[in-house]
Amino acid sequence: MSPAAAVGLWAVAQLVPSPQLVIGEKHVGGGLRWQLTPILYSFGIAARPWRTFLVSPIARHSGSVELHVSPEWACCAPDERSSWLVRAGLRLYLPLLEHGEKLSWSIGGAYYRAAGGGGASADLGVFTFNGAFGLNVTVSPWLTRREVITTLTIRLF
Amino acid sequence: MRAKSVIILILSLTLPSCGFAWRALKKNLSAPPERAVAHKLADPRRPEARLSALWIGHATVLLQLDDRFVLTDPVFSHTLAQASPRLVEPGLDPDRIPPLAAVVVSHMHFDHLSFGSLDAIEQRTPVVLVPPGVRANMPRYSFEIRALESWASYEHDGLRVTAVPVQHVGGRYALDTAFETRAFTGYVFEYHGLSVYFGGDTGYIPSAFKATHARFPTLSLALLPICPDAPRDFMQYTHISPNQALDAFALLGAQRMIPIHFDTYINSDDAPGACPKELRARMQARGLSDEQVSILAIGEQRVLIER
Repeated sequence: MSPAAAVGLWAVAQLVPSPQLVIGEKHVGGGLRWQLTPILYSFGIAARPWRTFLVSPIARHSGSVELHVSPEWACCAPDERSSWLVRAGLRLYLPLLEHGEKLSWSIGGAYYRAAGGGGASADLGVFTFNGAFGLNVTVSPWLTRREVITTLTIRLF
Repeated sequence: MRAKSVIILILSLTLPSCGFAWRALKKNLSAPPERAVAHKLADPRRPEARLSALWIGHATVLLQLDDRFVLTDPVFSHTLAQASPRLVEPGLDPDRIPPLAAVVVSHMHFDHLSFGSLDAIEQRTPVVLVPPGVRANMPRYSFEIRALESWASYEHDGLRVTAVPVQHVGGRYALDTAFETRAFTGYVFEYHGLSVYFGGDTGYIPSAFKATHARFPTLSLALLPICPDAPRDFMQYTHISPNQALDAFALLGAQRMIPIHFDTYINSDDAPGACPKELRARMQARGLSDEQVSILAIGEQRVLIER
């Protein structure tokens, strides 16, 4: 495979969404989240600490700070219409086992923008299998009907 | 109709490898418990040896060249990538490894580069040598991580380690294979007139073996992979078969060979024991003795040249 084809494949891989369980004050729904990393600084990696978009799992999970952008789509709640929002924020990744390849965790904060306005959110995550799979809980106290979102994160590179 | 043709084309291109991956996954899921190594060495130092080799398993070999020790592709992990269980325990415990002059890593695949295993020997080596591109995919350690281009050498205190070309693929997380096009290598160790070739993981590339022989005409020993062999079509570019390993041994012009990279993890269609069995048959056909090609058991140490 050529590097150009690999970048194309990476772009396609970014379209794979992470499924969400959206818990609001009075209902439960579903959703999808996508993730992009415009820039990341890895303090756990031996060389080339700055990465943009294409971030190898070890650079992220061995210890890093990333600027992330996450479009989200909430749906499937009874009597609710689907809606979009976008988050942008900083997230800190720290390794737990085998420099994060086996297990790592994250903590982050973001600003979101939805149809009804913007606000702040915080998230906590745990990741395994080279960061390919994880569980992320995002709390947005002022985001009506989406106060707590649990995401099964799927990230292929 | 056109869409159907495209789907059939995609499936025909991907299903063979999917089939192999599925078979390997099934085998790994039903793998037996890790087998213990009887009579593990407590101290691998051999004062009577000029050259000795201890096969720890897979591509991990502890070499003694006179008073220097070097370690190849250190992997002591009980599972690879949290998926593939080890079949036989490491033939030497990491805490029994003597102070090392150098460690080499041939490439980034999980069966050759284990971050947890490097943690276990972090204080025992001053340097880990890697091919280009690997350093940016390794976490920080207290030892130096030095990248070597083909034919470049690391020298310290009489020991010289030279990166030599092989044919394989780089990358660690599948997709990066396309970017890391130079992230694989073999090595030659030289010390006090001894020289040892380590092939890491390689396909059959006669030009590289001949070029290595031209630069190192008196190799004392060649460590050559012999597995995975099947499915051959899938493995052909990246892995030499047992018979090709003997061809490579001849082209390298080494005095002795020790086969590596078999019966430690499940990563192919090969039945356990199939690769060494095939190697023995090919040795017999070529009239090669056990002294010329020594098939070690995991944990076995062989003194190849005495003082």
